[in-house]
Amino acid sequence: MRLLPLAALFLAAQSVLAPAQADVPEAISKEILPGYAGFTAAAQALSDAAQADCSSAALQAPWNATFDAWLGVAHLRLGPIEDKGRALAIAFWPDPKAIGARQTESMLKAADPALVTADGMAQVSVAARGLFGLERLLYGAEATDTGAYACDLRRALAADLARMAQETEAEWHGGYADLLLTAGAEGNTRFLTRAEARQALFTQLISGLEFNADQRLGRPLGSFDKPRPERAEALASGRSLRDVALSLKALEGFARALAQGLGEIPLTEAAFARAHDVAAKLDDPVFAGVAEPGTRLKVEILQQSVRAAHDAALSEIGALLGVDAGFNSADGD
Amino acid sequence: MMKPLMALAATTALITPAFADAPATGAVLDTYADLAEAGYGDALSTAEGLQAAVAALIAAPSEETLSAAKAAWVAARVPYQQTEAFRFGNPIVDDWEGKVNAWPLDEGLIDYVDMDSAAVNEENELALLNIIANPKVTIGGTEVDATEITPALLGETLHEAEGIEANVATGYHAIEFLLWGQDLNGTDAGAGARPYTDFVQGEGCTHDNCDRRAAYLQAATDLLVTDLQEMVANWAEGGAARTAIEADPKAGVSAILTGMGSLSYGELAGERIKLGLMLHDPEEEHDCFSDMTHLSHYYDGVGIRNVYTGSYTRVDGTVVSGPSISDLVKAADPAVDAQLRSELDVSVGALGEMKAAAEGGMAFDQMLAMGNEEGAAIITKAVDALVTQTRSIERAVAALGGEIEVEGSDSLDNPNAVFQ
Repeated sequence: MRLLPLAALFLAAQSVLAPAQADVPEAISKEILPGYAGFTAAAQALSDAAQADCSSAALQAPWNATFDAWLGVAHLRLGPIEDKGRALAIAFWPDPKAIGARQTESMLKAADPALVTADGMAQVSVAARGLFGLERLLYGAEATDTGAYACDLRRALAADLARMAQETEAEWHGGYADLLLTAGAEGNTRFLTRAEARQALFTQLISGLEFNADQRLGRPLGSFDKPRPERAEALASGRSLRDVALSLKALEGFARALAQGLGEIPLTEAAFARAHDVAAKLDDPVFAGVAEPGTRLKVEILQQSVRAAHDAALSEIGALLGVDAGFNSADGD
Repeated sequence: MMKPLMALAATTALITPAFADAPATGAVLDTYADLAEAGYGDALSTAEGLQAAVAALIAAPSEETLSAAKAAWVAARVPYQQTEAFRFGNPIVDDWEGKVNAWPLDEGLIDYVDMDSAAVNEENELALLNIIANPKVTIGGTEVDATEITPALLGETLHEAEGIEANVATGYHAIEFLLWGQDLNGTDAGAGARPYTDFVQGEGCTHDNCDRRAAYLQAATDLLVTDLQEMVANWAEGGAARTAIEADPKAGVSAILTGMGSLSYGELAGERIKLGLMLHDPEEEHDCFSDMTHLSHYYDGVGIRNVYTGSYTRVDGTVVSGPSISDLVKAADPAVDAQLRSELDVSVGALGEMKAAAEGGMAFDQMLAMGNEEGAAIITKAVDALVTQTRSIERAVAALGGEIEVEGSDSLDNPNAVFQ
């Protein structure tokens, strides 16, 4: 079960100009693996930068590049990223009870040297780690903290992020991609049929779109009577809208890959094009406008356009793949 | 919130089992509704027991009456948690559920809290409202007269005030807070330790406002009883929830599996169990005042299995059972049914180990502690079992979707569709 798909992967990874495959192999070779490779490289560059200079001024650019790269794969909530709480540790948001802020504050106060080691950091609460843990130390009140512990903490958080990225990518290459590619083969107990592998990836597309509509846009929108601009994602660093735009770009690529070889997806493509257009024309980087009726409408229109892309993908790509979205981690309250 | 499922809802237009040995879908749905009626009926009768115990506590506060009220609360949780499998598939249940089992809560809305605790919530202006200490309050710019603490005040004004879900004024967890108080032990041993004197009227009252505290506890318990009465009626013959299930068999079968899958995965494995471990945060436990979280998790697991196997053992020991969704799946794909049945046993077993560990002295909040590897292993085993069974629930959906007669389905009309 191992040899053939590994060879297939190798061939696929050789060049982005490789001939198009179909659905699951296409999504893995053109979207997932390159996406994780980009995230690993960016996180490693951030960690290297932190070792050289731990000031917030030096780290903001590589941190932003890492966040950009993460958005290429953030919608993938299956496989290695779900092990050891990595997805939560990389990007713990939303955090309605401000657990992360409390934990960061108490870590700075306690200044425990055991926690800023590789082993120690892996034990720390996910709320204090990852991109949002670093954001608080690069943009928040702690950005100007030039103390030795704040410096060590930035370095440890960056190294922890790079380690998780590297492990995730390695585990995709070292087995998880095979599991998806050998769906239905004897001995594959995770994906019993090709349809199960298709459903697993399709679910990521659908729940990724839901996350943008319900969380990244829905949280700051709140209600008309009680808008919540303070709840926008990555508010401190000012990249709330950028996160939506980059996520949509990644999801569109993922959608095209899933449909590859099966048929055309004109409705989905049109819906994505409209969502991109709305996002590009929205001059409101942190959705501050949600509190004013006129500007609020623009954010609502973006949310509607994301929902339209969701609905189009659900019916159009679902029909091509012959599956429906499965359960996802956002089911429940 | 409920997420509509999925294969059955989206791809099937008509349910007609194509197998001689499969039970009629209608009979399966009847069993499901019977289980719900019995489960909510037991939740109601045990809540009435709690109501009586609370009345006794208020009439004569003592260590004994407080212990008896706590024991009645624990007993009331056993049947209620088993009904959680009816949640996500049924809008009637889902829309109502927040009134009785909402969590986590900013308990400072209700009563005094330790100002150094996590009760402080910057996202919630009402997190420290303390309605028991304040007969006149302002909510959303409007002055509210809370002189009389009534079920209506709790349910209609305070609950989810300002649209914030953490403003939980009603239900099991509000009552739990009033009986146990805040658990200030972090991830160390020990539950909340509210003294019975918090309910002593006149001299001997601790933490002030004992009359208003007693009134709150009574009102919240009375409201729980009336809310449960409403849900029992919804599942009785002719009730809205039963009628909805029976009116649309396709949606009914979908509701059963949606409820099982959503509770197994996103809610129980994810939100209530794994997240707490990843955060190492004792606030992230479902029953954080009483340290009875293990019971909630265990009976959730049992409830999922009840629904699948079409069998519920009532509080009085009698069994309600009938043709089940398991029978339908078995007729469509015996291997999927056998696997799912065995996985449900595994998850109930793993949750049972969690319960046993808690009863042996390691409460769920201690399992969450950073560095507690034994606790982490217990939690991880339960999460893995729940995640595993979710995959088989998806397979059950596919098995029924694929074998059920379909009219006008895009996915099956499409020649490229691969549908197992």
